Amino acid sequence: MAQGAVAVDTQYDYDIVKKFAIAALFWGVLGMTAGTYIAAELAFPFLNFDMAEISFGRLRPGHTSMVIFGFGGNALFATSYYVVQRTSQARLWNGGLANFTFWGWQAALAIGVIGYLNGITDGKEYAEFPWYVDILIAVVWVAYFLVFVQTLRRRSQPHIYVANWFYLAFILATAILHIFRNLAVPVGLFHPESYSVYAGVQDAMVQWWYGHNAVGFFLTAAFLGMMYYFVPKQAGRPIYSYRLSIIHFWALSFMYMWVGGHHLHWTALPDWTSSLAAAFSIMLLMPSWGGMINGIMTLSGAWEKLRTDPIMLFLITALSFYGMSTFEGPMMSLKSVNALSHYTDWTVGHVHSGALGWVAMISFGSFYHLIPRLWDTRMWSTSLIYVHFWLATIGIVLYIAAMWVSGIGQGLMLRAFDDYGNLAYTFIETVQFMHWPLVVRMLGGMFFVSGILVMCFNVAMTIRAAKQEQAALQGAMAAKVARAGA
Amino acid sequence: MFEWLSQMENTKPLALVIFFVTFVGIVIYVFSGKKRAKRLESYKNIPFLDDDKPASQQDPKVADKDQDNG
Amino acid sequence: MKFTHESIEINAGLMIVLTLLAISIGGLVEIVPLYYINDTVEKVEGVRPYTPLEQRGRDIYIREGCYTCHSQMVRPFRDEDMRYGHYSLAAESKYDHPFQWGSKRTGPDLARVGGKYSNTWHVQHLNSPRDVVPESIMPNYPWLLKNDLDYSDIAARMRALRIVGVPYSDTDEEYQANVEKFGAEMAAQFDIHQADRNLVAQAEKGNFDGDRSRLTEMDALVAYLQVLGTMVDFSKYDEGYFTEFR
Repeated sequence: MAQGAVAVDTQYDYDIVKKFAIAALFWGVLGMTAGTYIAAELAFPFLNFDMAEISFGRLRPGHTSMVIFGFGGNALFATSYYVVQRTSQARLWNGGLANFTFWGWQAALAIGVIGYLNGITDGKEYAEFPWYVDILIAVVWVAYFLVFVQTLRRRSQPHIYVANWFYLAFILATAILHIFRNLAVPVGLFHPESYSVYAGVQDAMVQWWYGHNAVGFFLTAAFLGMMYYFVPKQAGRPIYSYRLSIIHFWALSFMYMWVGGHHLHWTALPDWTSSLAAAFSIMLLMPSWGGMINGIMTLSGAWEKLRTDPIMLFLITALSFYGMSTFEGPMMSLKSVNALSHYTDWTVGHVHSGALGWVAMISFGSFYHLIPRLWDTRMWSTSLIYVHFWLATIGIVLYIAAMWVSGIGQGLMLRAFDDYGNLAYTFIETVQFMHWPLVVRMLGGMFFVSGILVMCFNVAMTIRAAKQEQAALQGAMAAKVARAGA
Repeated sequence: MFEWLSQMENTKPLALVIFFVTFVGIVIYVFSGKKRAKRLESYKNIPFLDDDKPASQQDPKVADKDQDNG
Repeated sequence: MKFTHESIEINAGLMIVLTLLAISIGGLVEIVPLYYINDTVEKVEGVRPYTPLEQRGRDIYIREGCYTCHSQMVRPFRDEDMRYGHYSLAAESKYDHPFQWGSKRTGPDLARVGGKYSNTWHVQHLNSPRDVVPESIMPNYPWLLKNDLDYSDIAARMRALRIVGVPYSDTDEEYQANVEKFGAEMAAQFDIHQADRNLVAQAEKGNFDGDRSRLTEMDALVAYLQVLGTMVDFSKYDEGYFTEFR
């Protein structure tokens, strides 16, 4: 194995993948802990402690940015750099530039999140980073695009594997979305604040075109890229249907960009726009489920792996949650359902069934596959992978169920009338009603955070063991050489 | 026919028809023809072309520590 | 050469071009017309830019992340009409950079909160929400009363907003145009050169935080909250008028 390891080390650039993988876990722990804390603040408001820096409104963008761009973003950098090398059988292009994408991305996150806590924000959901961080991100992104495409061009065979199409679409779409959402005029060259070039209804449409496609391309397409590589590799069998993946790719790329308007049903946005968005949202169910079926059916004929392999359990559970939330999404985009669900916790629950169930679970599964290969060893403990799986799954179920109760309950209460046609409940009565669901949601978050902490421990022990193994191996080699010399 | 095309309000059904025909076209193209099917499906083995690990480690089950690494 | 799907699969450049094409259409079709179709924004009287003090209040609203829990968009439903008031019009946020319609109501909608509560109530509520609403889960914002309002950059802020299309006036012609459009009193408020004076004067006259001796962040935020949803006089319009734009 030693020779093999050396060969792989020189053939592929694994250092950069390792760095991004560790960074993903680092931001994941921070971001999910912050999420659990703000969940606790909603259940027990004294936890705001009258401190501006940790008050809900400032910590919440910190949570979303750290989990989406910190955990999700770093996981995508790590896996895309790994997958593009392995499927092109070529070494990553320009290691220096790849390193720049690493430090640039971490710097953007750190500057941005510390800024939020000090009240520096653009006030646009999921695009809260101030203008100078936006510029840094744009530069990093161009470097990312160059590294990825140049590596593709080095591939040792003509064909580009489907996983790379998804990563490529994600890189392109994210660039477009990021640039157009963040067009703004700064107050001054040395002033952190800026004003969006769009106003009112146009700003709203640009926001949710951006916001939903951050979900569509950042949190879906790219993670599908992950799915198309790691599910077949872990299952030891090729993807169910390559032809289905062609349809899946083009339909998803085309349709996602239409659906953002469903965040603006019944608002001052013209009806035609949100109706069009709703129609595409419903059609989007087909490519989404096409992709899910493609992933799950890869296991067809080897279902027993689910009983013996916890990593497979992560990957297939992720796909199941993907299927569930891509069904729930189109349903919530129907105007009549949206009238009840919008502005309530139901939306928050839906996002988390996608973010925790799909994005985080597929990343965990892929990492459990990836990390032993990066360090040329095995996971330190298989049982801890099972422990993580169950902690995460219980956490998600508690979270989603609590948000259904809280969201649907509040939605129904707000539209209830008494016999005289007056409102049956005041707003604050719905807040009181939500207390226990909010407590349960917080518990769900705690389960999920414990899960990722178990994973971090397992990964740390794996890396330690790998280093010891390598040291022992080198010692043995040295002894052998010495003996041969003597 | 041309008159119908030149009216603004007809863009919606027109766009629908164009997109739908394109979609059906792609589906028919991708799923028709035995030779094409075989060719397209052959690409799904790309992830397995660079297997650097011996079969013992291919097993997704985390193997015992003392197992021979080769 | 015969064109097959492999032509794309083996050519990164072609794949990039076609992917860009596929992902561009949706956004273009839905966003570009919003700038050209006349009925995107209704024609109503009364909607005006924010005064310097209100704008500073809005900046603080954004800084504290109020939009993470409060929407500013009343939908056309019976319960929302009874709870909040007339549904929101696109015109009402046409000077909002960025928009603050929000996406979540952990607390109630604020699109029409202006004038519903007294300044004193707002100050108490922001300072310690549970003193006025025991079941509230809103954080306390005690620092709003403690922090002096920084308005040193108000002219720079108005200049930036002017670039993105808010009619704050820098020249005499712009000032005159504002006089015609918004009346002499408001036009003076929108004059960038008088911004500091106007801001202080409005705070002193309104006495939003209940303490005339100091100009605090609370003054600005309450001034902003008190103007929300009050610009359009809905009694002037027939209900059928707005539905034309939907």
